[in-house]
Amino acid sequence: MRSERYIPYLLVLPSVIFLLFLFAWPLVEALLLSIRGSEGWTLEHFQRMAADLYFKDAVKYTVLLAVVVVPLQVILALCMAMLLGGISKGRDLFLYVWTIPLGISDLAAGIAWLAIFTERGYLNSFLQALGLIQEPRLWLSYETPAMLFLAVVAAEVWRATAIVLVILVAGLQLIPKEYNEAAEVFGATPWRRFWKVTLPLLMPSLQVALILRTILALEVFAVVVALGGRNLPVLAGEAYFWYNAYQNPGVAAAYSVLILGISVLATLLYLRLMRPRQEVAA
Amino acid sequence: MSTRTIYLALAVLLALWVVVPIFLIATLAFSDRASVFAWPKGILPQHFSLETISFFFGVAGVGKAIGNSLIVAGLTLLFAVLLGAPAGYALARYRFAGADAYRILILLTRAFPLAILAIPLAVRFINLGLYDTPLGVALVHTALALPFAVLVTSSLFLGIPRELEEAAWTLGCNRIQAFLKVVLPLALPGLAATAIFAFVISWNEVFAATLLTLRERTLPAFLLTALNDSPLPFRFAGGFFLIVPALVFIFVIRRYLFTLWGIANR
Amino acid sequence: MAGIRVENIVKLFGRVKALNGVSLEVRDQEFVVLLGPSGCGKTTLLRIIAGLEHAESGRVFIGDRDVTALPPRSRKIAMVFQNYAVFPHLTVFENIAFGLRMQKALPERLRAQVERAATLMHIENLLERYPAQLSGGQRQRVAVARALAVEPEVLLMDEPLSNLDALLRLEMRAELKRLLAESRTTTLYVTHDQVEAMSLADRIAVMNAGRVVQYDEPMKVYQEPADTFVGGFIGSPPMNFLRLPVEGSQARIQSLTLELPSSPPGKDVLLGVRPEDLEAHLEPQPQSFPARVLVVEPLGSHLLLTLAYEQQQLKVTVPPDFAAKSGQTLWLRPQPGRLRWLDPASGQSLTHARQA
Repeated sequence: MRSERYIPYLLVLPSVIFLLFLFAWPLVEALLLSIRGSEGWTLEHFQRMAADLYFKDAVKYTVLLAVVVVPLQVILALCMAMLLGGISKGRDLFLYVWTIPLGISDLAAGIAWLAIFTERGYLNSFLQALGLIQEPRLWLSYETPAMLFLAVVAAEVWRATAIVLVILVAGLQLIPKEYNEAAEVFGATPWRRFWKVTLPLLMPSLQVALILRTILALEVFAVVVALGGRNLPVLAGEAYFWYNAYQNPGVAAAYSVLILGISVLATLLYLRLMRPRQEVAA
Repeated sequence: MSTRTIYLALAVLLALWVVVPIFLIATLAFSDRASVFAWPKGILPQHFSLETISFFFGVAGVGKAIGNSLIVAGLTLLFAVLLGAPAGYALARYRFAGADAYRILILLTRAFPLAILAIPLAVRFINLGLYDTPLGVALVHTALALPFAVLVTSSLFLGIPRELEEAAWTLGCNRIQAFLKVVLPLALPGLAATAIFAFVISWNEVFAATLLTLRERTLPAFLLTALNDSPLPFRFAGGFFLIVPALVFIFVIRRYLFTLWGIANR
Repeated sequence: MAGIRVENIVKLFGRVKALNGVSLEVRDQEFVVLLGPSGCGKTTLLRIIAGLEHAESGRVFIGDRDVTALPPRSRKIAMVFQNYAVFPHLTVFENIAFGLRMQKALPERLRAQVERAATLMHIENLLERYPAQLSGGQRQRVAVARALAVEPEVLLMDEPLSNLDALLRLEMRAELKRLLAESRTTTLYVTHDQVEAMSLADRIAVMNAGRVVQYDEPMKVYQEPADTFVGGFIGSPPMNFLRLPVEGSQARIQSLTLELPSSPPGKDVLLGVRPEDLEAHLEPQPQSFPARVLVVEPLGSHLLLTLAYEQQQLKVTVPPDFAAKSGQTLWLRPQPGRLRWLDPASGQSLTHARQA
């Protein structure tokens, strides 16, 4: 009978061992890889990374993408979630259609938007039909970083808003109806109810969505590669190129440590900014 | 126009925003080569044709890549459920010292960028003989899917009243019999959804799969590495083929979507 | 069939003592109710007997067998849960047959047992249905039938009626009483509902704060509560307790003096008297004391009066046609022979003091 005490540990143990081997250990390894050279400790990998031609752009575009894409996704998802509340008929159908991108990989999303932005793609065909252009224009080349950036933003917003939407809808379901009804009884307009009741109560879900999406946005890779190859350098892409093309795990690891560093920083920032939410809500 | 109509119009607009790119790539995948390169293009397919699709399947390595993807995703599904479900059960049924620490560990794993796992593992897997094998990729994909599996199965088992198990014990079952006869049949649909979700995570993953393979590419890894030197029809057909199973899976598990994402993110 | 005996059960939840050395004996074929407020440990005690929880110390016997170390499946018990715990993925037939299948009963015996149990509970026409298609009351019947089908040595029931609505609960209560009187299965039944306990039990074990405070026949528990807790918990409205000064071997209420059975330890004594054991009169009477009416509540079958005697409140029930108004003074005559005397310091009954 007493032996039952160890049952939960027995059940949890395999997954703990697995996670130690595939999370904790590689994490330490990555750190070591990035600071160990042929003769002892070194910052050589980080120096090589920082000196690389693509480095500055990679940092710039990665951070810029996260800063642009994540708020867009959250705002769009919030609108969708609120919109669902105003629809009675076909709510489930809309919810299903809107969450379809959940199953679509970043690579596939990149390819789908390639069909739109490519030289002989739908965007150029559309612009031609409007009479704005005569000949196909290049949007995804090295010379058009702004348009390439826009294409990546479109593909990312298209693909990953659904994740935020599901988190927010699940969060909304947890808010008891009575709060909103009470606010209504006291004469609050729908707009005020949203700001004063729904949004503050949704804050935990928003926080989760923001952190999760930011971490994932900082890892953006396949969408960018599918749309522009290396024309729009990003951090994860650089890590990939350094490992695969240049066969240099040290610099690749340095890039991965940098991504982790920015992720941790962003997470801490969110936690700090969103903590005093009583004051924000008041 | 009433607010209701405006809402509905907005909802339809957003639905179109989601559906149109899928429709466009499907159109391209089922057009002939000439229409893929045609300019300007119409929105509707011009000539229905299997030329592009059959060209895609005819490319050397595609069949093998699809096979590898299936093997990797299948292994991931198996590992994620076999490792995750017991842990989920423990979290749901027992209060034990370290349960909270374990929960935090699980949540933390989701905060790490994949690059930091894939690069050192690629290096290590060469020594271990796991590099360029479906098993190696499946292990990394399991690391991605396992946190989901644990959290989702834990909420799944929480939803099955403890008393059902206790009733089975009083009626003559030992713990294992009670689990097999009572808990498992009730958890089965949810477990299936968890498994499918793990499958989709693996099927879609490209970064680690590309780093960890050379010849034994999964489909996304194969597509990504072939992207720059392959013609557009190949890319579109490949992209479309990546999307289709994911669509089917999401349709199958849509009932569990909120358990899977909503609770897994708490 | 067998009795149950538990000895010195101690159960801790963290630092809280849920059970504080409980001993209890249930005779063969007896129907015992564990009664107490929530958190008193009654369900924990039942679950320890079932083997679903493990006590820090103490022993559990079923019949002559020491089952303390046995898992639930080896204890030859059956249990009915508060939320029924009917298996939703099995038909009613398979639910009732579950325990028999685990015993590897032969097909003929299995069918016969299931049908007998189902007929007893009047659900023989629902055997092919799934629990989702049943009402709460029907699920409850399935749960009881499932427990009876295995012919357990003892039947354990954890608040089995508390999830039913009031009318259904009344119906099921009578049915359970009939059923268990027929089957004569030793039963331990947990409830917080004192009416349920009174109506069903051969004996009631009243529990409070991890102890059994009184273990006796229902009418004894009602009329002769061992302490102020039992008197206050059982009966609706509860027993009145009046604090009175002691003079020698007598207690005094104004001009009225009452004999005490034994001399109390302190200067005061508590008089415990049920609301129906105070006879109310409009005029002064011998052997009575005055009290002022505060509230009159007509309850159909009777009037419930709340009165004040000096600073102390008491409740009295009177016939519905009794003309009482608030503010009025009534004369209350305690029924001799229905009075309980308790020690105000400990709350223990003076005659009962040795027990508990």
